Amino acid sequence: MRSIKIDPITRLEGHGKIEIFLDDDGAVNDCYFQIPELRGFERFVVGRPIEELPRIVTRICGVCPASHHMASAKAVDGCFGGELPPLARKLREMYYQAHYIHSHIAHFYALAAPDFVCGPDCDPATRNILGVVQKVGLEIGGQVIKARAMAQDIQTILGGRSTHVVWCIPGGVSKGLTKEELERIRPMADQLYDFTLFSLQLFKDVVLSNPGYVDLILNGPYTLNVHNMGLVDDNNAPNFYDGKVRVVDYEGNEICKYGPEDYHHHVAEHVEPWTYLKFPYLKQRGWKGFVEGIDTSLYCATPLSRLNVADRMATPRAQEAFEEMFKVLGAKPCRALLAQHWARLVEMVQNAEVLKRYVNDPEITGPEYRVVPQRITGEGVGIVEAMRGTLTHHYTCDEKGICTSANLIVGTTNNNAPIQMVTKKVAQALIQPGKEITEPVLNMVEMAFRAFDPCYSCATHTLPGQMPLEAVIHQGGQVVKTLRKNLG
Amino acid sequence: MIERTLIVGMGNPYLRDDGVGIRLAMDLMARLGLPEGIRRGPGGILPGVHIEPECSLGGLTLVELIDGFDRLVVLDSIATRDGVPGDWHHFTAEALRETMNLSSVHDANFATALELGRRMGMRLPADAEVLVYAVEVEDTLTFDTAMSPSMEARYGEFSAAIFADLAGVLPATLEQAAGI
Repeated sequence: MRSIKIDPITRLEGHGKIEIFLDDDGAVNDCYFQIPELRGFERFVVGRPIEELPRIVTRICGVCPASHHMASAKAVDGCFGGELPPLARKLREMYYQAHYIHSHIAHFYALAAPDFVCGPDCDPATRNILGVVQKVGLEIGGQVIKARAMAQDIQTILGGRSTHVVWCIPGGVSKGLTKEELERIRPMADQLYDFTLFSLQLFKDVVLSNPGYVDLILNGPYTLNVHNMGLVDDNNAPNFYDGKVRVVDYEGNEICKYGPEDYHHHVAEHVEPWTYLKFPYLKQRGWKGFVEGIDTSLYCATPLSRLNVADRMATPRAQEAFEEMFKVLGAKPCRALLAQHWARLVEMVQNAEVLKRYVNDPEITGPEYRVVPQRITGEGVGIVEAMRGTLTHHYTCDEKGICTSANLIVGTTNNNAPIQMVTKKVAQALIQPGKEITEPVLNMVEMAFRAFDPCYSCATHTLPGQMPLEAVIHQGGQVVKTLRKNLG
Repeated sequence: MIERTLIVGMGNPYLRDDGVGIRLAMDLMARLGLPEGIRRGPGGILPGVHIEPECSLGGLTLVELIDGFDRLVVLDSIATRDGVPGDWHHFTAEALRETMNLSSVHDANFATALELGRRMGMRLPADAEVLVYAVEVEDTLTFDTAMSPSMEARYGEFSAAIFADLAGVLPATLEQAAGI
């Protein structure tokens, strides 16, 4: 038995490692995706005033701080009785659209595009965002930077500061939107809408026009027969800020649909001894192991899952993109995990359309953006769709509003089991006896989990700011080869 | 001509020693009497020294934050092999780039993002004007707002040394700061 260890994984936040165990013939015997994740955050917040939590949880992750901020604020709202003026909800949702666009742009252009624009087997020295810009042109690169800046500007204008938002407070938000601020946002919202359509077209031009890529997406080993989870509104259209959690099996049948307060009846977490990260599953089906199939209790919570559980999109142009996507993919729900990248772009169109809708909402600059809570009910659950999956914050507090417990199920955690499974599946398909294990092959294994945009970030930033990568190949208990990148 | 300087404290204030850069930046902000945040006028960022004492950003997002500045000072933590907690290093992005060039550019890391931003026409500090002060840390894995005792014991020493070095490196900046 020999093992290949890729540690840590490149181009995702935080730290993780893959261990691939080969049998004596060189075929993949097993594969583990391990997360030495930081635990203890839930304990750290116990004993603190509950209203502080939305400000603290933004430090869980430097990648999606606003998702934690929003989910936490909703949970805290619940602890204080749940009263929220309609304008506060609108402003929060408006902010969240800009946050989504900001994140999805980065994922598509910096993380996904290198594999498709540059090619999965191109030189790793150019398989990055600079390589993408080289291919698609400096002008487009400039547009990416500009669009990111606009999405950030909108968040800054709404939330009042550029980093570590502290805007959502119990009962609403700490500042409203002035007419002057709205007029600054208006042209940016229009330009972001154009940019999301441009990105969608770029995907079609670059990826869909390449039969090899389409074949890789549809017929490659990157498929999984597990179920889908996502937040939906009353019309079963995706809603990223609020709504009910809908779970649909991979044949399109609804398994369950529940409000945030019922999450613990529907989701439980399994523990394995070899990783710190838990494995959520559908509680009413029970833990059945790392298995695919219609009876499995495993699900994905990803951009593609969100579209898979939706009957429609919430906005017209996104609806067109949604219909086109599933028509080309040939099935809804779609099980081809690399279609995540396309789904992300469809979502971004809805984000931009909802943003524009709020810009044109005559009530958006109103004064009623907060009510002061008058009572403490002691418990609240907040669920939002983080970019990387359904994010749940569940808090309890005592009669003085001091936190007594916190439970978090973060976006990527939902996908922990599917990530394990697809990584193994792809490794088994690509690493075969007698075939040299090359960097492009290992990159294609990484593509399996990069599709999930996994994020294991807690410390958010360490110098030198680049993930080291080590592949150690063992045979017969001996290290026979060590491949190192970014280890200085 | 350095007209606009941004000082950032990097890290996570809730992960024990990872917050050292933020604490240094907070102290520096108080010492210089600087207001928090980036100040903008009708023509963009105002000349002078600006400080973001808590910044847990990396890659593209960090580059977007420093667009428009001529000089960046980063106060951060670092853990090197055999590093002694409380020791500190000073280097510029030139060194960072050398490090990057030893291996493949495989991520939208800070060096890549700097290069990308420049190619896209962003106004970013030259590598020699990206000044990094990084303090060796002991523990960045425990959720805590206090630093490790070994770090705490040496804080006065290394913070004074870093500020003294910074004063030597950035006399003009500090004069500007004093004028605010």
